Amino acid sequence: MIRYVLLALILGGIAGYLNNNFGKLLDNAWVSNYAFEFSLLLLLFAMGFTFGMDKEAVGKLRKEGFKILVVPFSIALGSIFGGLVGGYVLGIGVVGSMAVSAGFGWYTLAGPMVGQFFGTEFGALGFLANFLRELFTVVTIPLVAKADRYAPIAFGGATTMDTTLPVIVKYCGSEALITAFSSGFALSIIAPFTITTIATIPH
Amino acid sequence: MNLVYVAGATMIDLSTLTLVLALIAGIGLGYVLREKKCVGLGKVVFGAIIILIFSMGFSIGSNNELLASMPAIGVNAVVIMALSVVFSIVFLKVTRKLVKLE
Repeated sequence: MIRYVLLALILGGIAGYLNNNFGKLLDNAWVSNYAFEFSLLLLLFAMGFTFGMDKEAVGKLRKEGFKILVVPFSIALGSIFGGLVGGYVLGIGVVGSMAVSAGFGWYTLAGPMVGQFFGTEFGALGFLANFLRELFTVVTIPLVAKADRYAPIAFGGATTMDTTLPVIVKYCGSEALITAFSSGFALSIIAPFTITTIATIPH
Repeated sequence: MNLVYVAGATMIDLSTLTLVLALIAGIGLGYVLREKKCVGLGKVVFGAIIILIFSMGFSIGSNNELLASMPAIGVNAVVIMALSVVFSIVFLKVTRKLVKLE
């Protein structure tokens, strides 16, 4: 998956660069706006559809009750707080940087969505910061799992329901499955809403 | 982008509403159709992600000012990512103590 995503990003970058600097074949807006917005809508609809259809996922969440909800919401608050501190330290827009960290590692969502609200530069930041989060999660799980079996779940954010789940289960044991999945599931659902909500803060 | 001014201060972006509605519509429809076997949805997601990422790359590649600022973005991304992760772990530790979740 990551391979194809990287390939699409690089090819898109090359295509955009060539189109912009060596004779305009088509107006940038055709790809940057129309193709972009259409696929983002389609993606959100399809992801919602998958969530709605997944009977087990909803059942698992119900079974664990309220306590397990503490996990994703702590991770969400921690991530956004980290974005706040980061934006302040780096001297970039604090609201934008909070939105970047509210992707919780879901870079295919965070990049485009943050870009939509805060401009292309923050979009690129949203993509890169969340992409690195997934990458570092996969790489460091074997190390952090030994210290605290909840740490990889916090580390992975929204990715712990799909891409990083198999790695987490391998190193933290099968009892981490439900916690990791439901945490990633909850974070994936709230990520678009959180980014949208943060974007309504004056910036 | 179409902006609607509500009560003089709050701004609601119409396209924002569209995104949230698409997500809610998807969840609702998926829930209603949950008895049906829906194959090929993964392919739709994959296709949408590829188009999305391609057009994202296109936006970045066609923006010369942005390309020039890329080295700085890399540093910012690492800093924001690292702080998000560290505070996620710290916040989770604290709240787990509070609710006694093992």
